[in-house]
Amino acid sequence: MDQRPSLIASRLPVLTLAIGAFALIIFLFPKLGNLLIYDRAAIIHGEIWRLLSGNLVHFSLAHLLYNLFAWLIAGAIIEFHGYRFFLLLCLSSSLLIGTTLFILKPELYFYAGLSGMVSAVVTYLCLQGLGEKGVWRWLCAATLAGMIAKSVIEMGSGSSFMLLVSKENFVPVPLSHLAGIIAALLLYFYELHHHYRVPKDK
Amino acid sequence: MKHSSISIFIAVIMLLYAALLSGCASGTNKHATSVVDYLFPNTKNPVVVTPGIPVLSLPLRVGIAFVPAAAGRDVRQSRTSTGFTPFQGGGDLALTEKRKTDLMQEVAKNFKKHPFVKNIEIIPSAYLTPGGSFANLDQIQNMLELDVIVLLSYDQVQFTDITLSITYWTMSGPLVIPAQDNDTHTMLDAVVYDIKSRKMLFRAPGTSLVKGSSMLVDQSQELRTDSDRGFSEAAQSMIANLDVQLALFKEKLKERPEEYKVVRTPAYVASRSGGGGGGGSVDNIMLLLFIGLGVGFLWIKGRR
Repeated sequence: MDQRPSLIASRLPVLTLAIGAFALIIFLFPKLGNLLIYDRAAIIHGEIWRLLSGNLVHFSLAHLLYNLFAWLIAGAIIEFHGYRFFLLLCLSSSLLIGTTLFILKPELYFYAGLSGMVSAVVTYLCLQGLGEKGVWRWLCAATLAGMIAKSVIEMGSGSSFMLLVSKENFVPVPLSHLAGIIAALLLYFYELHHHYRVPKDK
Repeated sequence: MKHSSISIFIAVIMLLYAALLSGCASGTNKHATSVVDYLFPNTKNPVVVTPGIPVLSLPLRVGIAFVPAAAGRDVRQSRTSTGFTPFQGGGDLALTEKRKTDLMQEVAKNFKKHPFVKNIEIIPSAYLTPGGSFANLDQIQNMLELDVIVLLSYDQVQFTDITLSITYWTMSGPLVIPAQDNDTHTMLDAVVYDIKSRKMLFRAPGTSLVKGSSMLVDQSQELRTDSDRGFSEAAQSMIANLDVQLALFKEKLKERPEEYKVVRTPAYVASRSGGGGGGGSVDNIMLLLFIGLGVGFLWIKGRR
């Protein structure tokens, strides 16, 4: 008996919209952004929420819009599918991205951007999609292969692919994308191991 | 008798020639634009401005422009009696558009070194209408997405006769400078405005005095050279002054937080960290993959 959710579980992508709206609000109120940005010095001094919240801060409107666009696509699809653990995925991926940067990138004083979480959500969506049938399965497999290949190339070459926000004064951090992918893989295999792949509405 | 008539005729001719030469070589040549005339033109309905509290969201997007001369007023005011002018070409003669751009680039170069400046737009003169006031600034702000504008004006006087004194009318009142024969006095004035609140943030003048010593025969060329040198020197003086006034303005921001609001964006905070700012951003490959996934999802959904 297949317990997977139907491909079209019509529901409002509440969590996706909420996180998107929160990122927008943070952008509109720079003082809030300053309280939430990944700031290595502040984290060392105890403001550990920045490990998570830094993912929701953006440096510019272009930076926000591109990330938000990708986030809305990925998050909406995952919520339409009704896959479980989306909230857990968001929390765990943002935490893993923050801690990875903190441990492996001590030279990075500030970090901001939703793209690491986007990578996590897309990877998780594609992993779930591998269990589907038909075209969707192959589409997910191709996207997953593309994501992993891109991350491996970026990490291997030590540089990022061409940014859409090329005029910004920040250094792209491909490690955040890799951390997002790893967070999704960990959650997916944890879920497989504990047989938790049961849809909410079935 | 005939001989004396010829002598008198020659003497008269020489006197007229001397008078002509004297007329050619004497007078003052003044070239000026005014921020006051541009922002507060003398019209039937005078511009009434109540400055608000500026909210400076760092880093700032700055525009820089030379204000045009007042509408219907020839910028060149000359007391020369017979038409001698050291500049050729008519109109706003002292500064060509190319020279203005060069000077603005010098000022922009100085501004760019400050971390609170995100970018600087050099605004062509054609974008500013004479007496355009704040309505014109609003248009420019919308078009170029600016926060703050540096309005430059100039006043250059070249003396070719008696010792005088000159008066520059600045945003802060008159500035009186004594003048000498063949001297070139130049003043460049930078006024920095927060466009949205209509509040002047600070101003910085720069002056120059080029002492003239030209002979009558090469006076025209000499005055042209002196004019150019005057603007260069005044620009350097103004740039140095801008740094001083900027430092004072920063102090004012700290002392009077009720008058100026400063918002430091995360991007600014990160940039101040000495280059240790990193961003997680979607790149073109990721976006293509996600769009492909989204389109595929919609296509499958449409088929069911």
